[in-house]
Amino acid sequence: MLIELSGVSKIYNQGRANEVRALSDIDLGVEQGSMVCLKGPSGSGKSTLLAIIGCIFPPTSGRAAIAERQLARLPDRFLTLHRRETIGFIFQRFNILPELTVLENITLPLLPLGVPPKERRQRAQELLARFAISHRARFPAGQISGGELQRVAIARALINNQPIILADEPTAHLDTALSREFMEIMQQLKEAGKTIVIASHDPLVFEHPAIDRTVTIQDGRIHVP
Amino acid sequence: MAQRNLEKQLNILDYALSSLWRRRLKSLSVLLVFAAVIFLLASFQMVTKALSDKAREVLVHTPEITLQKMSVGRQEAIPLAYRDRLAGIFGIRRVVPRIWGYYFDEVRLANYTVMGMAVEEMPDGARLDTALASGTMPGPAGQGLVAIGQSIKKALALEGRTTFSLFRPDLSLKAFEVSGEFSPDTDILTNDLVVMNLADARDLFAIPAGLVTDLCVYVANPQEIDTIAKKISETMPSVRVLTRPQIQKTYQVVFGWRSGFGSICLLTALAAFVILAWDKASGLSPEERREIAILKVLGWQTSDILVVRFWESVIVSGLACVVGMTAAYIHVVYFAASLFRPVLMGWSVLRPDLHLLPRLAAGDILLTLAFTVIPYLAATVIPAWRSATVPADSALGG
Ligand SMILES: Nc1ncnc2c1ncn2[C@@H]1O[C@H](COP(=O)(O)OP(=O)(O)OP(=O)(O)O)[C@@H](O)[C@H]1O
Ligand SMILES: [Mg+2]
Repeated sequence: MLIELSGVSKIYNQGRANEVRALSDIDLGVEQGSMVCLKGPSGSGKSTLLAIIGCIFPPTSGRAAIAERQLARLPDRFLTLHRRETIGFIFQRFNILPELTVLENITLPLLPLGVPPKERRQRAQELLARFAISHRARFPAGQISGGELQRVAIARALINNQPIILADEPTAHLDTALSREFMEIMQQLKEAGKTIVIASHDPLVFEHPAIDRTVTIQDGRIHVP
Repeated sequence: MAQRNLEKQLNILDYALSSLWRRRLKSLSVLLVFAAVIFLLASFQMVTKALSDKAREVLVHTPEITLQKMSVGRQEAIPLAYRDRLAGIFGIRRVVPRIWGYYFDEVRLANYTVMGMAVEEMPDGARLDTALASGTMPGPAGQGLVAIGQSIKKALALEGRTTFSLFRPDLSLKAFEVSGEFSPDTDILTNDLVVMNLADARDLFAIPAGLVTDLCVYVANPQEIDTIAKKISETMPSVRVLTRPQIQKTYQVVFGWRSGFGSICLLTALAAFVILAWDKASGLSPEERREIAILKVLGWQTSDILVVRFWESVIVSGLACVVGMTAAYIHVVYFAASLFRPVLMGWSVLRPDLHLLPRLAAGDILLTLAFTVIPYLAATVIPAWRSATVPADSALGG
């Protein structure tokens, strides 16, 4: 299992007046090379679960092992180190910095890794070619189309060749055609051996044939129908 | 590993540079304000430095003790015969008479300081001959010879001639011939000076024989200046006794007050700047928060983001220092600190066309840096710490 959660809970602002129990007692295993969809109503805890899988913060209690590393009580610094080797993120609205060029956006994760400029450019250009957006490399990211932006976001998630790809509501702001294209690319990545977890309540996502399993979350728990 | 770390630091520096460039308007405005503060501070410091150097120069040529005769609160001529009454005081090396006064040239509308000195009687080092750029000092035999300063040379428009005339009080003309010229380097002392022998000065100002304007006393041991001055006052109560340390103290008080006043104005400007910097840096815009959250979720450590901020600040303040310091140097040297004139030039010793050449000491530059760059770095990097605590998960979701 590349992702292994058992008895995971997450409480925001624990012990304070604004305490929120976002996840309770989650057990979840994801095999290497599979594609899983997290589904559920707004506020059910999908993003929180994705953040724990993505090594952004450890669970409040329970055990979470991501790529064979236990997250519990791991200091922030080491979470970050583990995250950048293991996780590629694709966000809702893609979180691309609009003033940076496409090339700069894609290579952002490589800067703190000490990858020299030449190698950065080379790696980025390979990905740009693969997603047919090489002609946009020097454009400010704020000036390209939605479809191109999506491919830039995917390229950035792949730049360090991380084994796990996480996507949080990736199709929420896309039309049907672009949503389909997105899932096609995810399917290709899965076939290339990536492990993929997508949080979405878009039927175009969770009904896609490449999805191996859909996990429904409700009120912070896995819902077993 | 070390190689990777170096590459990483270079990458981060590169990112800092490009983000300064992206925000070039904002960066430039901060840079200009910062450069202006450094310009003011450094100009002020250079002027202060140059002036105190000049003051020291003046004082070197001041006699150790000067005697003047006072009558109803005004200075009047002192009889040469007073020298005999000083003979009994132990420790006096030499007493040299001097006649000096201001001469207003109605033709050229200029003021000259005329100094009649008994050069031959003065000790080495007090004679002003070291201040000469060319020629010789007028001796007792050189009737009508003068040594002149640079602004006199300009005012007289000699252009190759060596002779000129001045009016006696009875409006008869007295002819002079230039025998020496003072160097521009000593302008604070010699700029408007016309030096001649005692007899010529007596003739020009029509001072009766047996009288001079003051007596310069040179002592054998500078440690005894105060003791000897006290003895002179006791012997001759009607004589005003001025010592070099006293004059020095007066300069320092006047000068200290002026520079203190200036410093307060500058500190106020500096404080305003720091508050501005703090305000700018601590108020994180939504775009900045978003950028930080994205960088963090992409694997940047909090410390990496701080280093970006640090480089940005170092680059801005470094450039501001270079610009501000250079502008200050040009302002002081080539424009004679014209912006500070209203504050500093009331100092009576200073001539209006003063030529300042500050000697730049590393310590002074460091001091200016310490008062500007360090507060700026503190004001920008410390709030950035807060900004780096933006949680990475705020980049998630909508
Ligand atoms: N940083 C936070 N601090 C406090 N409470 C939070 C925080 N993030 C999320 N929550 C709360 O935790 C619960 C789960 O939120 P989460 O964002 O994981 O849900 P979600 O399923 O992703 O919802 P959506 O579909 O709206 O994105 C919600 O009640 C939310 O208000
Ligand atoms: Mg969410």
